[in-house]
Amino acid sequence: MITFEAVTKRYPDGTVAVDALDLEVPAGKTMVLVGPSGCGKTTTLRMVNRLIEPTEGRILLDGRDIRHQDPARLRRGIGYVIQQTGLFPHRTVEDNIATVPVLNGWPRAKARARARELLTLIGLDPALARRYPYQLSGGQQQRIGVARALAADPPVLLMDEPFSAVDPVVRASLQDELISLQTELHKTIVLVTHDIEEAIKVGDLVALYRPHGKIAQLGTPERLLGAPVDDYVAGFVGFDRGIRRLSFFTAAGLALSTGPVFSADTTVAKAQASAEPWILVAGDGGPRGWIPSVTLGGYPGDTPLGQLPAERVGHTFTAGTDSLRAALDAAVLSPAGLAVGVDDAGQVAGVVTFDQLRAAIQAADAADSAGAQAAGQLGAAP
Amino acid sequence: MMWSWIPGNWSLIWQLTWENAKLGVLPALFGLVISLPLGIMAARWRWFSPPVLTVVTVLYAIPSLALFIALIPAFGLTDTTVVIALTVFALCVILPNVVAGLRAVPDPVRQAATAMGYGPLRRLVTVELPLAVPVIIAGLRVGVVSSISLASLGQLIGVSSLGYLFIDGLQRDFPTEIYIGLVLIIVLALVCDLILVGIRRALTPWQPRRERRGRAVLVRSVAA
Repeated sequence: MITFEAVTKRYPDGTVAVDALDLEVPAGKTMVLVGPSGCGKTTTLRMVNRLIEPTEGRILLDGRDIRHQDPARLRRGIGYVIQQTGLFPHRTVEDNIATVPVLNGWPRAKARARARELLTLIGLDPALARRYPYQLSGGQQQRIGVARALAADPPVLLMDEPFSAVDPVVRASLQDELISLQTELHKTIVLVTHDIEEAIKVGDLVALYRPHGKIAQLGTPERLLGAPVDDYVAGFVGFDRGIRRLSFFTAAGLALSTGPVFSADTTVAKAQASAEPWILVAGDGGPRGWIPSVTLGGYPGDTPLGQLPAERVGHTFTAGTDSLRAALDAAVLSPAGLAVGVDDAGQVAGVVTFDQLRAAIQAADAADSAGAQAAGQLGAAP
Repeated sequence: MMWSWIPGNWSLIWQLTWENAKLGVLPALFGLVISLPLGIMAARWRWFSPPVLTVVTVLYAIPSLALFIALIPAFGLTDTTVVIALTVFALCVILPNVVAGLRAVPDPVRQAATAMGYGPLRRLVTVELPLAVPVIIAGLRVGVVSSISLASLGQLIGVSSLGYLFIDGLQRDFPTEIYIGLVLIIVLALVCDLILVGIRRALTPWQPRRERRGRAVLVRSVAA
């Protein structure tokens, strides 16, 4: 756990980078510091490993004041990842990764073995071990940077705009990898970014900074999207925050109806008898398409539905695992206005209406607010 | 050009070449040894670098013959005089490159090293100096080549070098000696330069091919 107690950083010219900051980063969680440039988020990060010393206040790591620890020793217990990677150009990939173990006095062979282990962990080919950084792509370099930070298995990881220098596709995959690494490793992570999407995606908690080193709001990503404390926060999280927030609510509780669902060999007459306005034709490999009931009258009653022209289903959502956002998206894109839910195998599980979705969203919202009030601290600004 | 002169004077030619090589390489090495601590200090403390680099520029402007003459009262007409004078000139070329090489270490690399838990000395020795090697060696190459060429001037105060062939050839009106001296100095300089390029390649397998030409920094541009 990292604790900031009334920490201020003031520069000799009078600039206040961080202003009386109180912040607690719970052990094993990912805390994202997000805000415009010059808001003090990077300064906050660098005070943790004493690259910058605070002017006032104190910072505790697991209850111990970091000022009372030798800086070099302290830093070897804190992983550090930066945007420009900071890889050592003159060392091979394995020796880069082995940096901190070697500093800790490990024999080189053991440190290199550990480096290869980490290459596998972060999903890189161990054959890259003997390459030099200039021979790697930007995404690979960034992964090596993460591996190097993890090499000595430090409990704390500081990441300063770690994915900002790579293209959006690589960035998204690096974010996914970080999330899955974190579910395995449970590090205490402080990650700085200017990208609110990244903050919402990877953060367990998000601290949104105002300019000049004050936190505007601290809370879970859901709370930031659902209950911004003021216009500044609302503006920063973006205009479609209501929709995006639905990503955090599961669609698992939706009651799926099979009323309009018919197999492809069902006859037109039987479908007409159901009195559903839209008929969903389900094949072996999942939904085939929507047919408006009003067109059924134009065909002989014994025609199988599979032979009729149908409109595309658009998106479906996976009933057990997808979010309400995916379900809503499926409903919006559906010609029938009904979202098609499929099971894990891709077979049609049923459909939900807009009204059902609205009710589910309201219920999730109410539960979320109640939960936040019960938990007390998370939604409140410090 | 009298080719027949060469076989009869093999031992003289060989001895002069060897003397000249010593007078070229030793000052460059001494210059490097003195440049490293001064350059490290100048790169570390901003205030220290303008005075040091200014002194270097001024020293470099002294005519070499004048420096020989100034050193004679203390060291006589000896190798020492020539080596000291040439060390000063080599230093003038190498020192700015040490400073430039250390300053060119990318900031994120330095910052990452600190954040990994390197102390200042260990960071300097294992991260910063290795990364400065291409630029330092670029300076060393200029230092060696100019020392080899300047060494011939030592002959003016009686210190043996390929310069002997110039003076003797001139006095006896025998151009063959002059040509041979000239060619040998150039060959010697090229050989030493190639050796240094080889050393740099061996020390920096981590450099991308296209960037493998570390360029020497001019004294004035750094001092300014």
